[in-house]
Amino acid sequence: MSDLKNKIDDLLMKVNKPARYTGGEINSVIKDANKVKIRFAFAFPDVYEVGMSHLGLKILYSLMNERDDTYCERVFAPWVDMENLMREKDVPLFSLETKTPLNMFDVIGFTLQYELSYTNILNMLDLSKIPIRSKDRKGYPLIIAGGPCAVNPAPLSDVVDLFVIGDGEEIINEILDLVASCKKDNVPKEDFLRRASKIQGVYAPSLYVETYNDDNTIKSIKPIEEGVPAVIKRRIVKDLDKTYHPDKQIVPFINIVHDRIVLEVFRGCTRGCRFCQAGMIYRPVRERSKETLLKLADKLIKSTGYEEISLTSLSTCDYSQIESLVYDLIEKYKDMGTGVALPSTRIDAFSVNLLNEIQKVRKTGLTLAPEAGTQRLRDVINKGVTEEDLVNSTKEAFKAGWKSVKLYFMLGLPTETMEDVKGISDLAHLVADVYKDVNGSTKGLKITVSTSTFVPKPFTPFQWYPQDDMDSIINKQNYLKELLRGKIFSYNWHEPNMSFLEAVISKGDRKVGQAIIKAWESGCKFDGWDEQFKFDKWLEAFESVGVDPKFYAYKNRDFDEVFPWDIVDVGVRKDYLKREYKKAIEGKLTGDCRLHCTGCGIKDLDEGVVCFEA
Amino acid sequence: MKLRAKFKKDGDLKYISHLDLMRTIERAMRRAQIKFSLSKGFNPHPLISFGPALSMGATTHGDYFDVVVEGEIDPKRFKDDLNKALPDGLEIIDCYIVDDKDLLSNKVKEAEYTVDVYLMSRVTNLAFEITRFLGRSEIFIEKESKSGSKVIDLKNYILDLKMLDSKGSKITLYVKLKISEGSPGPIYVIKALDDFLGHVFDVERVLVDRRNLILN
Repeated sequence: MSDLKNKIDDLLMKVNKPARYTGGEINSVIKDANKVKIRFAFAFPDVYEVGMSHLGLKILYSLMNERDDTYCERVFAPWVDMENLMREKDVPLFSLETKTPLNMFDVIGFTLQYELSYTNILNMLDLSKIPIRSKDRKGYPLIIAGGPCAVNPAPLSDVVDLFVIGDGEEIINEILDLVASCKKDNVPKEDFLRRASKIQGVYAPSLYVETYNDDNTIKSIKPIEEGVPAVIKRRIVKDLDKTYHPDKQIVPFINIVHDRIVLEVFRGCTRGCRFCQAGMIYRPVRERSKETLLKLADKLIKSTGYEEISLTSLSTCDYSQIESLVYDLIEKYKDMGTGVALPSTRIDAFSVNLLNEIQKVRKTGLTLAPEAGTQRLRDVINKGVTEEDLVNSTKEAFKAGWKSVKLYFMLGLPTETMEDVKGISDLAHLVADVYKDVNGSTKGLKITVSTSTFVPKPFTPFQWYPQDDMDSIINKQNYLKELLRGKIFSYNWHEPNMSFLEAVISKGDRKVGQAIIKAWESGCKFDGWDEQFKFDKWLEAFESVGVDPKFYAYKNRDFDEVFPWDIVDVGVRKDYLKREYKKAIEGKLTGDCRLHCTGCGIKDLDEGVVCFEA
Repeated sequence: MKLRAKFKKDGDLKYISHLDLMRTIERAMRRAQIKFSLSKGFNPHPLISFGPALSMGATTHGDYFDVVVEGEIDPKRFKDDLNKALPDGLEIIDCYIVDDKDLLSNKVKEAEYTVDVYLMSRVTNLAFEITRFLGRSEIFIEKESKSGSKVIDLKNYILDLKMLDSKGSKITLYVKLKISEGSPGPIYVIKALDDFLGHVFDVERVLVDRRNLILN
């Protein structure tokens, strides 16, 4: 081990941000690796700064390390400079805590946050000298994966031994118990997987077979033997208030993407935006009580020394006691210079008083997400936000002294016309007029408009809808570039070919998985990073395995089509999604389900699942 | 009340930047529940000031920072409490009260370094060569800064340079430099010496340790 440490040391002076690879941060866990039964590597398939910002890592790392029999360590994808040196000097991928090569672990757990990081998973296995296909891995660590993208496990089915569907903290202890007992009894992997598949929320893809129709759609996904469940039910934390939340958090040395305390106030969202996968697959809303949150906040602030605490959820202003929670936190910690951040602010729930209060300790940006340019299209996606909301909230904000606003939109939403695209620019100009009304001129004003390309995702009402094609998206982007001229505006857009690939993979089947392997073999990695993305290599990869990517992104799908992800039951029923799809096309709104149950079916998923009741 | 703390930074922490170091110490003070004063402006920040930045990859055993704290704090208590909150690789080795008007930036005039270099080829009588190097009337080098690179005379900054030790191919040098706005670090001395000797050092394996900042 110390030999590897010395080898790593020799590389670190030659790479960018070497502290990505050293570990040793406050609150990282040091255990005697010889005294545990299970060595678990939490693997994040992106760089340190991205991975360390992720709440799931913080929760599972602390939770697993509370077990005396388990040592959970971290590993991230090395950036290209480090990878090149590691390959040149024959340094295997290693854990940060003890600098142990990854192939010495019992379990490697990947989190699937983003489809364009899948090639990094293959690359990390390869850097660990671990075969990438599960069928070639006799005597190697068990590879498991969870996270939001696991709701469609098909594309990584040849790579991952076992998927976890749903809230990880709800299931991980059952899996670790089984790993411990099977390791003790030397149970072979196939038997372990058979036993694991009995745990609700576990999908072991090698125990299933995917068959196809002549038109390349799925015929069926079936277990290959008796006793293996036909549908994988998602696991849900039922009472979030009583569920584990870490009271310590690792404090990195280098600046990470979200460099602050993360306190999860609730899980789920009641708004029902039709494009939003998270809003569907994290139902129902489950809140933590204010008392619990204040207690946790106090411990986190004292154990980290951070200067900011972020209250996270899918829509934090919807928290039932948001105002008093924010005021209490600010009052209590402002003398230490510790401020509060609300990362997810909606226009309608937006309270300027709240943001003003926050501003006293630390300046925050004003970011609003109308998502679509016209009311018609906002109704299609069920974003219950009006132009008036935008005018009112920005007016108050400008009065309070804000000078810059960021506006987020999507291009290529279902039924979108050029009129809707123009609406994006109209809204930006409207906000400029509001500023002029308040301040007399547009002096000092900065409006940033960002558009991403809409990706139809599994388990959303738009899963049947085709993605807008790349040429059309590029046209729309160019149109907006024309319309958003002038010093006060700046316009950012996403690479449309990246969004195309994201659509292909997120709706992909096992055949798409072959293309992912091929793409990695031809050098693809860090596909979510502009400077690393090699679209032509991807197209070649699809071609060489005989898969048409357009089939996955652009196909208008039938309501009775079998999807690769139909093997998973996230709780929201398909007939609800169909209903929402139809309402979308008709431009009809569906209300907030806190006010009136919209019948998505989540309550029937499992005993004890309770929706938020006001 | 203003405290001045002398600290060391070594081990893996040599890989963090000056900015990272500042953040790490600020957060450690919060963990240690040390009540530092905040600036009054729009974005309040702790009143902490550091001496000259150390380059990435260098260790130190004698750097300083000043911090303004609320009320009275016993310097020994400050040192002990903060040390408990600091990560491995950072340690406060001394702490004392200074006058509020005493500015660290006005006090730092000289710095002493030890530098480990590795020889790629043999040099006969390195000590004599160093004397010859120092005997030159001027040593012009190109120094890079944010505003581009400019040519300066290194000779004006070198107060001392000698060989301390040599073990196999590893040579330990002692460098004493003048510190002022934009002054060059020891790495420039090593590179200039390496040029003078006809490129004998492994320039990718230079380990700089700031032994001490000399305060006047």
